[in-house]
Amino acid sequence: MSDLQRDDERELVERAKRDPRQFGALYDRHFQQIYRFVYSRVREQTAAEDVTSEIFMKALKAMPRYQDTGRPFAAWLYQISVNAIADRYRTLRPSSPLEDFHNLSIAEPPLEEQAAHRDEIRRIWALVEALPVQQKTALVLKFQEDMKIEDIAVAMGKTAGAVKLLIHRGVSRLRDEADSLRPAE
Amino acid sequence: MSMQHDPDLDDVLQDQELRRVAALLREARMTEPPLDDAFRSALRRQLMNQAWGMSGGGVPWWRKVFGPTGMVWATATVGVILIGVVVVLTNINQPGSSDQVVVTSPISNQSAVRLQQPIQVTFNQPMDHPSTEAAVQIAPATTVAFSWHENTLSVTPTAGNLAPNTQYQVTIGPGAKTAAGQSLTAPKTITFVTQPPPSPSPSPTPIASPTPRGVLTNQHLLASIPDGITAVLWSPDSSTVYYITGKGALESVPQGGGSATILAADGVSSLAIDAAGDQLAYIRKGNIVILAITAGTTIEVVPTSAPVLVGWTTGGVEWTTADGVYAIGPGGQGKIAPLPATGTVTAISFAPDGAHLAYTQDQSLDVLDLGTGKTIVLGLSGARFLGWSPDGTGIMYSSAQGVVLADLGGRNTTSLPAGEPSWSTQDEVLLGSDVNLFEMRPDASGQTKLAEGTYHLPEWAPNGVAFTYFRGGELFTASAPAPAPPLTSPLDAASSVVNTFMKARKDNPDRANAYLDDNGRKAYSSATSGLNLQVTGDPSFSRYYLLTGEITGSHPDTAQFVVRIVLEHNNIDVKTFEETLTLVRTQGSQQFLVDQATAGPVLSLGTTAEVVSVDFTATSVKVTFDSDLKPETVTAGVIILDSKGKQIGNAPVYSKRTVTIDGLDLKAGKGYKLVVLSTVQDVSGNNIAAEYDLAFSGPSDTHGDRHRDTSPSPSPQPSPSASPSS
Repeated sequence: MSDLQRDDERELVERAKRDPRQFGALYDRHFQQIYRFVYSRVREQTAAEDVTSEIFMKALKAMPRYQDTGRPFAAWLYQISVNAIADRYRTLRPSSPLEDFHNLSIAEPPLEEQAAHRDEIRRIWALVEALPVQQKTALVLKFQEDMKIEDIAVAMGKTAGAVKLLIHRGVSRLRDEADSLRPAE
Repeated sequence: MSMQHDPDLDDVLQDQELRRVAALLREARMTEPPLDDAFRSALRRQLMNQAWGMSGGGVPWWRKVFGPTGMVWATATVGVILIGVVVVLTNINQPGSSDQVVVTSPISNQSAVRLQQPIQVTFNQPMDHPSTEAAVQIAPATTVAFSWHENTLSVTPTAGNLAPNTQYQVTIGPGAKTAAGQSLTAPKTITFVTQPPPSPSPSPTPIASPTPRGVLTNQHLLASIPDGITAVLWSPDSSTVYYITGKGALESVPQGGGSATILAADGVSSLAIDAAGDQLAYIRKGNIVILAITAGTTIEVVPTSAPVLVGWTTGGVEWTTADGVYAIGPGGQGKIAPLPATGTVTAISFAPDGAHLAYTQDQSLDVLDLGTGKTIVLGLSGARFLGWSPDGTGIMYSSAQGVVLADLGGRNTTSLPAGEPSWSTQDEVLLGSDVNLFEMRPDASGQTKLAEGTYHLPEWAPNGVAFTYFRGGELFTASAPAPAPPLTSPLDAASSVVNTFMKARKDNPDRANAYLDDNGRKAYSSATSGLNLQVTGDPSFSRYYLLTGEITGSHPDTAQFVVRIVLEHNNIDVKTFEETLTLVRTQGSQQFLVDQATAGPVLSLGTTAEVVSVDFTATSVKVTFDSDLKPETVTAGVIILDSKGKQIGNAPVYSKRTVTIDGLDLKAGKGYKLVVLSTVQDVSGNNIAAEYDLAFSGPSDTHGDRHRDTSPSPSPQPSPSASPSS
């Protein structure tokens, strides 16, 4: 996010803090991103809609208390999202397999290598799902949502160092459990 | 495999294998999840409603007092001229002050202010122009120009006109100074409401009838039937006439002329044709015969007891016996409704749709609803059944004075002169007799003598043009002249009912019930509909106006209106909601009644732009706002969607508070949606409070005029576009 975009977002946030009716602009800006993230975690449209509604409703109600820590507003929305999804997971599990959700088409030929590569990605993401929740969340926010460590820390309510540790442990565990991912010598 | 470098992870993933795994994770890009745009919009609306509720405590007092954008109180009274003599004096300083600055405005508190005029504010002493102009605030947001004449300030919208149906609030803020340099100590507001918009287009000018009234055409003999006839029946396509002779023969003859065909030589006593015109059913020798007209084949149904009368429903053939009404169901023959077991009961006629049966019980004429089993009595003792309306919602019977037309509840009766009647699909009634033939509308208006002479048993063809009559042992056909145009178009008639209904809701809700049919009454009494016939509480019902109105169907005439209801608190518009009303006019009811109603959410009125009218033709849609808009926000913010959700039409063009989308090809009866996104901003940069959606149907080509004749209208039609309220 450029400085200009950041200033623009700060202005939107300040307006929404003063007048909740201005929250619509923030909703318009972040809906797609949050919905996509939620859907990737709950994997069912109705559930994704329920959770997304809950997230934005909580965000709206909490706007007057929002404190600008210098991180993107989205990091705060992700924090609410992570908690809402965790609440959901206590009673429900995703209904669709992960590989149905990721676009595994790889641009480079040849075809046989592409197929093998797709298979690697599919299997490694399947392993992500089996990781402990904290490691899984950190990896999803980092590699799927492409967030910065500091923003993930906000979203997960942890320090940046703790997030790095989670990512390191998660990726190391994937490496250990996925010997077959190594390319043939 | 490429490995995207992420400095974030440099100190986390130092091992080459770990970086490789990370690269694999990053390579899987998410596909777009399924997303329902309706959910996205609905959630936004929900959030905005919640936000409005939250903002109530945080709005400065002056915004609460002066802020709400007005949706108006309209009066359509033509010729209301601004009352210039009413001057409201407002004292800016405290009473008794020695330096009182008095402001007058001829339009303060007026409720039908013309759209084409400046807002004049007169001060009782010279003012400092720059500070006074800077202190003027106008809601809704309007770009204005100022001019002075002595101590009078004219505030003119640069768009030219004021917005219609809008409550304006012009505030002179405390920053205004007198020429002597004295600041005002408190703001003061002038409030007024503008009149409805002018009619977008006059009613279509009727085309002169090609056929002079009072002359029958295409008269010719169909068949010589010296034994007389007991029944005449037209095919649905109006090409063939079927009849039963006095000797019980069933014959047919082409309407255009030709020899008669004998379908059954004798013994036929009742006749009916199915809706498609493929099959005839008749009673012969105690059985029901079903004749496939094209193939000429017959099948016979043997009832368990002697049939008296035969008819068709959508489900097949039905008939009466001495004890009830029967039909063939999945399990074979079965009784679908009993007939009275006492007195002398005679089945007379099935309604055209097969859903009702007229019968007599001794001297009483009754109608039996075959769906509910309920019976109503028509007229006085001795009343005779004379016929149905073609849609089966109206019935004709005799009275001492002549012919009575009524709906199937026995209400909405109209008396016509005595005669032998036939009711057409075009809502014309023929009255035949020994000496002449008259034509008139079901409300008894437009009575015209078509011919002198004997015209017995007139029977309209389904096309509403040709008819048969019997004279001297011969069956004739002729074409009637086109009927006179209706006094009011269907849209005007429906508009009138909506206005009367809404006024009654405001002033006398009990009376409003008279404008509801059974479905409408259910809609307003349902606990789940959110509809209340009587709008009570605080804020209170201030006014209403018609946002849109259109004819959406014919046979029966159907109209749909969107009515905006404005609620006020302390004379300030504070909330609004819309109701969508569907009105139906059957041939039986003879007037539009509210058949369906739905209510939208109650929205708080703020300082943001509001839609005040929507006008559409087959090729364009015009959306008028109460505020000046930022044109650059309109292009992507106002869209028309077809029934599949696809955006249609050219890019919106904005001018003078009106957004026009051309290049449309709206089909009559097809569903469309106008969407005004919340990204649209007024000139002050305020987004509209919530996305605005309006569902509508493509306009009818005929403007709802179902009459084939279009002779000149006697007077200009009133505008259907706006409504008065009180």
